[in-house]
Amino acid sequence: MEFWTGGAGLARMRAMPASLANGYDSFVADAVKAEELGFAAYGAPEHHFTYDGFIPFPLQALAAAAAVTTTIRLVTGAMLLPMYDPLDAAEAAATLDVISGGRVRLGLGMGYRPMEFDGIGTAKRTRGARLVEAIEVLRRATAEDTFDFEGEHYRYEGASLRPVPVQRPIDIWFCGGTSARAARRAGEAGLPYWLANSPFEVTESIVHEYRRAGREAGWPEERLRVAAFKDVFIGNTMPEAESLRDVMLDVFYEEHILGYGYLVDDSGRHVYNPPRDHPMYTRFVDSLFCGTAEMVVEELKRYEALGVEAVFLPSPQRGLIADEIMPEFT
Amino acid sequence: MRVGLSWDLDTAGTSAAQTHVLGEAATAARFGYDSAWVREGRDGRGACSHPALLLTALSRKDATLQLRAIREVVRANPVRLAEEIAVLDVFSRGRAGLAFAAAGRQGRPPLQVHETVDFVRTAWAADEFRYRGDHVRFPTHTGDDAPAGASFPPARGSDGYVPQWELGPATPDFLTVTPKPHCPRPPVYVEIDDDATLDWAAAAGVSPFVAADVPADTAVERLGRYRKAADTAGRSRAEVEVVVERVIRDESPPALVSFVRDMHAETGLGHLVLRRCGAGDVDLFRFAVDVYPLLQG
Repeated sequence: MEFWTGGAGLARMRAMPASLANGYDSFVADAVKAEELGFAAYGAPEHHFTYDGFIPFPLQALAAAAAVTTTIRLVTGAMLLPMYDPLDAAEAAATLDVISGGRVRLGLGMGYRPMEFDGIGTAKRTRGARLVEAIEVLRRATAEDTFDFEGEHYRYEGASLRPVPVQRPIDIWFCGGTSARAARRAGEAGLPYWLANSPFEVTESIVHEYRRAGREAGWPEERLRVAAFKDVFIGNTMPEAESLRDVMLDVFYEEHILGYGYLVDDSGRHVYNPPRDHPMYTRFVDSLFCGTAEMVVEELKRYEALGVEAVFLPSPQRGLIADEIMPEFT
Repeated sequence: MRVGLSWDLDTAGTSAAQTHVLGEAATAARFGYDSAWVREGRDGRGACSHPALLLTALSRKDATLQLRAIREVVRANPVRLAEEIAVLDVFSRGRAGLAFAAAGRQGRPPLQVHETVDFVRTAWAADEFRYRGDHVRFPTHTGDDAPAGASFPPARGSDGYVPQWELGPATPDFLTVTPKPHCPRPPVYVEIDDDATLDWAAAAGVSPFVAADVPADTAVERLGRYRKAADTAGRSRAEVEVVVERVIRDESPPALVSFVRDMHAETGLGHLVLRRCGAGDVDLFRFAVDVYPLLQG
């Protein structure tokens, strides 16, 4: 199993006041540290128009990391592809691929916040269908010298990518959150699937749905790869781990959940400002794994057995993960 | 007088050109050059379509160079453009700047460049706002009844106003582009190849940029007109930085110094940018030793 991680500091987290520039420096320093610790990939996310200054262009943050690292993969998690012109996104990815010597991995999601689509100037309603098309444009653009593409939403004739990337094509993953519909889309398209935080039982169900859709579409098993985003909080005792989780809930997740509609119910509707005993809220809290190092190993072994080939652990406890978790996996 | 380097990788045959720029810029920084300018291009296999990414990488290799992206509006989303330069500015702690290619080079009307400049400057300086132009509209649903250009929400409490992050699923009429740059107002430049842009930039206090392919006498003429227009508009000369890009090859140091001093006297030139072309380029160390000190004062 591969271990991926990502940087904090690309936003000012509520209750943790700090200079944004210092946070950017920390992001770069953490990339260097993650490489030293043996993580396989280092990531950056994307959001727009937030008071906390959340990074809007993950490839740019990763360009800073690329300048001071040499081997670690640089992964977007997630880059909100329907808010880009796909060829423009491919160009940016190719530029980073050149700067980094071929280390780019694209985690591509669809986004969910209405104001982001309205501000950037694209339609939210068609984002799912556009994501699948745009991913195909990226794959073709990074794989072929010249290509034509005619889809429902995007058309290119005789297009060429500049600069030409090192990887042909660039490694692409479909970030579908915890949506069964998104998992089916990824499976049908034969794209590697990257899940968001979810309790193991939900992860298991989505992975099965993804693989079933992929098999039915005729894709070989080796093409149906899975990664999982997983918050883990490690303590010597359960209360210690839970207190770390509660800090993260308070300074980061609460406003995503309360203000930005981060949680999606089974019918695909975003839930705004849910009470703390709302089933969606409690399910999300349950998905943030708390435990001792041994318990985290045991939990991640379940993911490994499920065929999850990589876990993205955004935890600041990277040293502990490298010392006590990663050696238990090959 | 500041002296910088520029690269146009539009015809670069391989992507190695971009890593070469990173190395050459870092060398230039050690020799005391002031700035690195990278122009957007898409022709050659090594062309740089996203200068801000290259400059962001450079910002972590050197801590001194001013970092300037020369961008076109033809394929740029103005929101993303404002965000990219702001992010570059935070990563470089206030060293970012943005130059706009001439409208004529892009086959676009000058007004599109003017609106994009106006939008980007507003996005960096203001919190929540909306923008209505012929070419730029932000957020998308901004109606024709909105005032032209940038407009701002009513004072809090006067009209039931709620900031964007407390709205929940509702679509806000005003948005804040974030992050904000480290420096409140990163410098903005525009090529003054067309008369409409020359007059607009002079009146709006936008710094003029003359590219290397503009003949020297034309550069002097246009910058002279810019200066007159700016004076007429009541703009202070201290508000802007006059930038001229030149290809410098084997000119003798005295001739070069004389050329730059004359241009400074006639146009207010404050920033000379040496366009790097490859073989035959002026030696960076020799220029830094023999010429640069004589340009001061």
